[in-house]
Amino acid sequence: MSLLPAPEVEAPISTFEGEGSRPAQSYWNESWQRLRDNRIGMAAGILILILAAISLAAPLFTQFVTHYEPYRLDLLATFQPPGHAHLLGTDELGRDTLTRLIYGGRVTLGVAFLTVGISLTLGTSVGLVTGYYGGWIDDILMRLVDVVLSIPAIFLFILMSILFRPNPVTLAMIIASVGWGGVARLVRGEVLSVKQRDFIMATRSIGARDVRLIVRHLLPNVLPVLIVAASLGVGQIILIEAALDFLGLGIQPPTASWGNMLTNAESYFFHSTWLVYFPGITIFITVLASNLFGNAIRDAFDPRLKTH
Amino acid sequence: MLAKYLVRRLLASVIVVLGVTLLTLLLMDRTRGTYVPGIDLNPNLRPEDIARLRANLGLDRPFYMWYLTWIWNVAHGDFGRSMIDGSPVLSHILDRLPNTLELTGTAIILGVLLSIPLGVIGALRRGSKTDHALTVVSVAGFAVPQFWLGLLLILLFSVTLEQHGLPWLPSSGAASAINGGDILDRLEHLIMPATVLSFFYLSLWSRFTRSSMLEVLSQDYIRTARAKGMSERRVVYLHGLRNALIPLITLIGLELPGLVSGGLVVEVVFGWPGIGKLAFERALQYDYSTVMGITFFATLLVVAGNLLADVLYAILDPRIRYA
Repeated sequence: MSLLPAPEVEAPISTFEGEGSRPAQSYWNESWQRLRDNRIGMAAGILILILAAISLAAPLFTQFVTHYEPYRLDLLATFQPPGHAHLLGTDELGRDTLTRLIYGGRVTLGVAFLTVGISLTLGTSVGLVTGYYGGWIDDILMRLVDVVLSIPAIFLFILMSILFRPNPVTLAMIIASVGWGGVARLVRGEVLSVKQRDFIMATRSIGARDVRLIVRHLLPNVLPVLIVAASLGVGQIILIEAALDFLGLGIQPPTASWGNMLTNAESYFFHSTWLVYFPGITIFITVLASNLFGNAIRDAFDPRLKTH
Repeated sequence: MLAKYLVRRLLASVIVVLGVTLLTLLLMDRTRGTYVPGIDLNPNLRPEDIARLRANLGLDRPFYMWYLTWIWNVAHGDFGRSMIDGSPVLSHILDRLPNTLELTGTAIILGVLLSIPLGVIGALRRGSKTDHALTVVSVAGFAVPQFWLGLLLILLFSVTLEQHGLPWLPSSGAASAINGGDILDRLEHLIMPATVLSFFYLSLWSRFTRSSMLEVLSQDYIRTARAKGMSERRVVYLHGLRNALIPLITLIGLELPGLVSGGLVVEVVFGWPGIGKLAFERALQYDYSTVMGITFFATLLVVAGNLLADVLYAILDPRIRYA
């Protein structure tokens, strides 16, 4: 998401007397500085970037670091404990665990980011339109949101994944089919309040059309809320996706994902516990980093929401 | 005022429920065209038999008729029949309901009982080592996959303890099949799944209690209470906690639907014979009508939970208008 300067956003720092020692800064500069000062948040963000980079460069990594293919079976080397040949051991078919974790990261992170993208796009569009126009379109779409958010998400996921046999893209769409509702509510609320401000009236009075008003003036003002929602959502989505994969309702084998590597975990309990530990630790660390980064983003971009 | 508010909220809920049925049946409609009951048992069915069977079940009707029939039946307590074994979906649900309520009810009660004191301690000793430790625990609780935490507990308390000849906890089911079923036996089975589930609620609610408490303690009326010489204990518990708990009640109300749906993953990991596990198993067998029935049943509870939370909130916090 590009952080374009948004001229309409009022800089939270006013240049009253007494604060004159600091120059007025744009909202984005101000937020970026707050984010940079948050050491835990920055560390978490960098960790996410590293994980994403490793996933993107998976073929390079497996060629030069682990030296195994993610789907090549080696029935003479099943259940190898972590060691020199296989850094994190092998599974029941002799596949290298580290290689599969790296390739699983592609799927898991890919699905997570795609889900966030779909939910944000759909939710923002609906929120902008309903908040700006109101009336019957607002009534209908927001009732639809009520409906979607009233079905316990896990059951909706299950129902849809038996109907649509998910691949990574459909899985993202399934998870996003619930996520957009919350985004729409959030954006609509923001739009309702921004709409009341004077600059909107001013813009309209000089003849700006609806589309321009929405895209150039409302959207930049809801961006901070969107950025916060997106960064806080990633961790939850990874957890949902991992759980669906674990249950066998998400990404199907042989495609590796962090969740489905744990599907048969019980059969490893007695001799190959590393197969239980590593995928779980990977999920845990990734979600932890996402959440910490999300919190940092929230504190930086929306200081009103900062928890004590 | 309150009555009018109630009626309006109730009407809105009915519309939402109808919307849910329409949405889920539209999803189901994708499979309705090809479904033939009993085809697995008798692959030699003649085309005219198939047509007759489908007509008997109303599967050949247009969507709106099918939908209206379904609504009519549900309104009369008939959720349809399972596509796998032909038995009524509702009786399946009611069979499993007590087990699910036992698990999730325990977890929610444990979560409330532990999270409120921990949240208050965190707020009162803000910045202390205890506070930091509590923060770390709840941050971890948000990030750990429930199913993996369950697997780790099984690995430690069932497998490893048994291997070392120590007393161990049962890893699966709600009671032992042989000589089981008494309270002690059920408790033994309950410990691990309830722990996993309540850990999540604990993380959520203790953070919330903490920040809600901090918020309230910074209010003017707290300063007033202190200024007039009230003891700190009375300030914190009488004025602080009472007000801090109001938003928490809404949050817990919103979690009530979790009584049925919240434990699904945990139920599967621990082989707990509840509604979530039923939905999961039936999903794998493509038993649409059962999954559908459970989804609808759970939705009813969500809507009821939301309604209850709103009403409770309006009653408890006089600042809320019934607007």
